[in-house]
Amino acid sequence: MKKLISMLLALILITGLLTGCGGTNTGPVENGKAEPSTELNIYMWQQYISDDLIAKFEEENNAKVNLSYMSDNADAITKLTAGGGQEYDLIMTCDAYMESLIDGGYIEKINFENIPNASNINESYWTAKEYCVPYLMNYIYVVYNKDTCPIEINGYNDLIDPALKGQIATIDGARNLFPIALIALGYDPNSTNESEIAEAYEWLVKYNENVVAYGNAEQNLTNGTASVAFTYDGNASWAMSELGDKNNLVIADFESDPVQLGFDLYVVPKGAKHVDLAEKFLNYITDPQVMAANLVEYPYSCPNDAAVEAASDAYKNDPARDFDYKENVFFQKDVGEAITIYNDYYQKLKVGE
Amino acid sequence: MKKNKFKQNTLPALAMAGPVSLWMILFVTLPMLYIIYISFMSRGIFGDVVYEFSLDSYKTLLDSTYFKVIVKSMKAAFITTLLCILIGYPFAYYIAKQPKEVASKLIMLVMIPFWTNSLMRLNSWLLLFQTSGPVNNFLQNAGFIDSPISFVYTDGLVMIGMITNMLPFAVLPMYSSIEKLSKSLLEASADLGASRSTTFFNITLPLTFPGIFSSIILVFIPSLGIYTVTDMLGGGKVLYIGNIIKNQFGAIRNWPLGAALSVLLIVITGLLIFIYTRFAKIEDMEVV
Amino acid sequence: MSISKKRKRQRMEEFIGTTYSIAIYAILYIPVLVMMMFSFNNQRYNYYWNGFTTQWYTKLFSNSALIESLWYSVVIAVLATIISVTIGTIGALGLKKYEFRGKKFINEMLYIPIIVPEIVMAVALLVIFIKVGFALGMGSILIGHCTFCIPYAVVTIKGRISGDGYSLEEASMDLGANRIQTFINVTLPSIMPGVMSAAFLSFTLSIDDVVMSNMLAGAKNSTLPVLILSMNKSGVTPDVNALTTIMILIIVIAMVLNNLIKNALKKRKKTEETI
Repeated sequence: MKKLISMLLALILITGLLTGCGGTNTGPVENGKAEPSTELNIYMWQQYISDDLIAKFEEENNAKVNLSYMSDNADAITKLTAGGGQEYDLIMTCDAYMESLIDGGYIEKINFENIPNASNINESYWTAKEYCVPYLMNYIYVVYNKDTCPIEINGYNDLIDPALKGQIATIDGARNLFPIALIALGYDPNSTNESEIAEAYEWLVKYNENVVAYGNAEQNLTNGTASVAFTYDGNASWAMSELGDKNNLVIADFESDPVQLGFDLYVVPKGAKHVDLAEKFLNYITDPQVMAANLVEYPYSCPNDAAVEAASDAYKNDPARDFDYKENVFFQKDVGEAITIYNDYYQKLKVGE
Repeated sequence: MKKNKFKQNTLPALAMAGPVSLWMILFVTLPMLYIIYISFMSRGIFGDVVYEFSLDSYKTLLDSTYFKVIVKSMKAAFITTLLCILIGYPFAYYIAKQPKEVASKLIMLVMIPFWTNSLMRLNSWLLLFQTSGPVNNFLQNAGFIDSPISFVYTDGLVMIGMITNMLPFAVLPMYSSIEKLSKSLLEASADLGASRSTTFFNITLPLTFPGIFSSIILVFIPSLGIYTVTDMLGGGKVLYIGNIIKNQFGAIRNWPLGAALSVLLIVITGLLIFIYTRFAKIEDMEVV
Repeated sequence: MSISKKRKRQRMEEFIGTTYSIAIYAILYIPVLVMMMFSFNNQRYNYYWNGFTTQWYTKLFSNSALIESLWYSVVIAVLATIISVTIGTIGALGLKKYEFRGKKFINEMLYIPIIVPEIVMAVALLVIFIKVGFALGMGSILIGHCTFCIPYAVVTIKGRISGDGYSLEEASMDLGANRIQTFINVTLPSIMPGVMSAAFLSFTLSIDDVVMSNMLAGAKNSTLPVLILSMNKSGVTPDVNALTTIMILIIVIAMVLNNLIKNALKKRKKTEETI
């Protein structure tokens, strides 16, 4: 009995201690600066927004912006699924997750009356319009080194040519790889039909033979480890600008196959505490001048037409965006329960026989 | 047993074993109960957990893919462990034979590289060995080779990465048990005319076995779940059990399956430790 | 065997041992040296060597997020080490000495954080923290780190507790020392090497942890490894290498200074003694 009581006592003590811990850790105290009237917590990609623009926003609104960074889209999804959304006011995610985030009730509707600048965003790129504000976007296409690549690439089926054995640097993930196989086979890239996915798996087995590494695509392309890369246009842009005058990378001239277009967009999680400031931020970042300045530092493709118009010539003439099949795109859709089928085949692909 | 004298002392027992017990119950037992609980639930359409009893996740595990993954992971962990012990033992022995002052510094030197980021250390191997990297450049300029050798994304580089990541976990326990060996015992053995190798195999090795035992556990178990090394240095072409569990909690959002896989992993590892402790005739699961 | 032959052999062995150890240290330090070298790389992301520059060192000082995250990492690692080693030391002694119901269970629980992939513990803790309403931040990261450091600490220290320690303790108590005096003067020194390795291990595990920190971090205070992991989409910028280089230099300087001071003190003591 005595044991039990002291055990309980210790428990209470520890919990007291812990909550104390949680309470005191509300962040570093700003010394010398006036206490900001409010703060904004954003969870997004690292190296994806200009620090100067954030500083300007903080100054204009007398607020503190806390940026924390994800390493993978799945990070944000895991936190939201665990119920941790209220820690943040804005979370970056991608269009493929929107449907399940809305249906699962993880995110709030956005009041667009407070975001007039959102009208700058190209409507045709905007799904789930009530719930998100698109920020930047990525084409996932094929680039290759014209000096070392043994063949010319005009479609996905060229990627399984045995001549490319051990030559391809590629992005990873079931939902990035299967769509190209499905397209190569003439199916819907978001198919939920198991026999089609199984066929796509067979295609990817051949593709896998040609892959030298998943991830690190631009590093491998610039240092000569790979001669072909299946990657984001933004990353290809870094690689090309890094090579400068020595740039020997060309974008594959696709004849009919569509390329994937994905969006990084902001959503407001359920239980967000600073929605007013989140809306101000969304309106700020969709301002054409602000976004144009952001594109100088981070030259990614952008769905904000007015901002692209206002952007620098260097941005407009970026060789990584100089391809003519920009309209021939497909989007990654939520495949519902079929995700587990994709996953089974993806695991099989990488586990091997 | 002298333990008896202390046995009646409830208060000191509570004061000493209490905090660690409480911590384990609050932050290990409780989370594990949650994991076991959701392993019997099912995945909702939106990737949430549907709280209805179901054995679906465990049924999924019967698929041969999971068996293959576990065998593959075990094989990799086994090779890593073996190499770490073989490489680490003479190293630990050398350090333990130094004067105490020097030895503690040498041990510290083993740990310092691990205070830097492991992902960046792994990336260093890539930068060093990649096609246009310094090693290939040197070999080409010196005329040893005509065209660059592809060192990166090979099994050899993965092994180097694994060993450099796990070595301190092998060295530390072995060092401490070799260092504990009394010098007089070894001298006595030598005085009695035993050759150095006899002394080593009959005295040093058996007496340092507890250290080797804990090194094996501390290397083997974490290597089983590791995936960053193979992802980075192996080019992510092979999935290990760690990848698969991570994906279930991340991109795939099938928490019940991830939980069931974790339970399976605990059962298998627990069983291995059990058999191993019986085989090694170690009474309880005390390590080091 | 003649004495000179024996000495020759000893020297030979010493030489082989030293060479071997240097080779091992080389393998451990090569990645660190490469990392330091690439802090001078003139490239936005470290793809390949592209010429010498020191710009990353000046850029580093304007990147407050990076320096802040290192600071949080160090604070968390130090706190996690102190907590884990304290709980681990008294826990190891308690678990070794006393018999109580549930001891076997606790002993087995200690293995769980070592066995279970970190992501699983991290997600489970995340769910529990959120359910209880415990704010995510440094507190939650710290608890997560202690949870996997404590088992390593207990396991390492337990091995250092030898059987003959008990008789010494009894002798000390018989001579009139109380429990706490006995603990400080007799028990602790005898297990000190174990405590030190436990501290080393805990610090090392905590400062480089990424999975637990990534899951349990809140909107503020992410650690350096989390920040580096989040760079994986675009690539790691060389200012991170610069930061690591400075960190390593500080450690080396601290070690050298520590040595010099120790030696100076020893010398002084010796001269005082001779006087």
